[in-house]
Amino acid sequence: MVGVGDQVELDRLEKQLDAGRKDDIVKYIDLVRKLKVRRSEKVAVHGLALLNNPSSASKLGDEVWNVYEQVAIAAMDTNNLEAAKECIGALMRKFPDSNRVGRLEGMWMEANGYWQQAEKVYATLLEATPADPFLLKRKVAMAKAQGNYSGAVDSLNKYLETFMADHDAWRELAELYTSLLMYKQAAFCYEELILGQPTNALYHLGYAELLYTMGGLENLRAAKKYYAATIELSGGRNIRALYGVVLSGTAISQLLKQTRSRNEEESMEIVTLASSVLKREYKSKAPRKLPLLSPLLEKAVSAS
Amino acid sequence: MSNDLMLDTQIRDWVLVPLSVVMVLIGVLRHFVTKLLRSTQNPDIKAVKEGQVVLRARYLRGSANLIPAKSFRARRVYYNNEENGLLFVPKGQGNNMQAQMFTDPNMAMDMMKKNLSMIIPQTLTFAWVNFFFSGFVAAKIPFPLTQRFRSMLQNGIDLSSVDVSYVSSRSWYFLNLFGLRGLFSLILGEENATDDAQKMMEKQMTMQMGAFGADPAKTLGAEKDGLDLVQHEWALNRIEQRAEAVLKQLLDTPDFNF
Repeated sequence: MVGVGDQVELDRLEKQLDAGRKDDIVKYIDLVRKLKVRRSEKVAVHGLALLNNPSSASKLGDEVWNVYEQVAIAAMDTNNLEAAKECIGALMRKFPDSNRVGRLEGMWMEANGYWQQAEKVYATLLEATPADPFLLKRKVAMAKAQGNYSGAVDSLNKYLETFMADHDAWRELAELYTSLLMYKQAAFCYEELILGQPTNALYHLGYAELLYTMGGLENLRAAKKYYAATIELSGGRNIRALYGVVLSGTAISQLLKQTRSRNEEESMEIVTLASSVLKREYKSKAPRKLPLLSPLLEKAVSAS
Repeated sequence: MSNDLMLDTQIRDWVLVPLSVVMVLIGVLRHFVTKLLRSTQNPDIKAVKEGQVVLRARYLRGSANLIPAKSFRARRVYYNNEENGLLFVPKGQGNNMQAQMFTDPNMAMDMMKKNLSMIIPQTLTFAWVNFFFSGFVAAKIPFPLTQRFRSMLQNGIDLSSVDVSYVSSRSWYFLNLFGLRGLFSLILGEENATDDAQKMMEKQMTMQMGAFGADPAKTLGAEKDGLDLVQHEWALNRIEQRAEAVLKQLLDTPDFNF
């Protein structure tokens, strides 16, 4: 179980480590793995030292193989490919037919840029375990690393066909679609995210931004509503949502003016409120930028 | 007591100790044999997918009001349409455990392997004990017991006159069979294959799961019905007023700190 206490403990151990005391390195590496945080540099350096010291490595018992895996990934993350290779080699000698170690080998190929070899490694592993989520995700990551976004989208869709309740995958797909300018598809992903985690303000915000980007009266109105939802969920603390409400409100009133559909009313009180919150916020946090902001906001408020 | 039985030390050397040693060795052997026979089970893609579909449909049902009506309707059709909807199971295609067992040879094979590694050694050792050691009084426990323990401790000796605290060789076998678990978990580590009681529990659990929860066709059907019943009403119709209230409150608090 992961608790708040673990996080505090991690910070404490990290400080201790930075101060040069290495007694609790095992505990530190363990916590990093448990909390799934990315501290690759520290893990790579200290973990390697730990593994290269036979007496301390033998103290780990069976746990040593987990540490090998962790250090291998950290080493790849810090581009220390030689060290990673040593760790992977040790793991391969111990577990010659392991799927998990095979994946590490594939990742090492990826890190070296040997895309075809990596592809081959993953293909053979997938033959044995066609439903391995990690392998399917690796394929997505590989396509993305090569800049092949549409390929990444294809692989990710294939992954989501089976694992369709995976929020992180939907998030990734939304971002991929956004960078491919396929906003409708991205909006679908954000809807899926909102369904999965309805109280996460950031998903509402992302959806609102997509709707605003797509434009059109209906989308803009929906965008304003989702910005408002973000404001409600974040207690008005999200600056982006405040800006978003102001911008979408202005855009809506401009559209209404253009089409001269006076009978369609849009409540603009929230725009005024949001801009005063923004002003106040800038006054307290960045007073020098306030003169840049206020004319813009006034124009927006008066236009609406 | 006056009519104490004197147990020959030969019995200790040739019955009690060998029996225990053999039981331990067989336990260890069985552990490794099961390890050898155990096939790594790949999770069935179809089963995983069904679970995930149900989960996703549940999300949709739970927070349907948070997405626009158009998006909700599109999704409902996607899940529930009668041609290729994700939750739609054609009649007669719902497979149950039984059918799966007959069609999937792997499953039957797995069960057979499990049974083999459990039953065969047990039968053999029991026969062996019966053949060589039947009728011995092998040990005496150092405290008196009531008559009710006679069937437990003196299995194989049909003498009512012997004190209950004497243990027959066959009972010693049974005591070893069920009582060595702690020793095995010391020797072989926590999760060893010799743990019979646990295995039986697990078996029962899976049987019950199969009976109650794991009929995928039913779960999917129930989820489909649930989704059909959802009345969509966009929760964001009045969100702006709520957000205004939040902002007003924020403006009313003097010098707020972010």
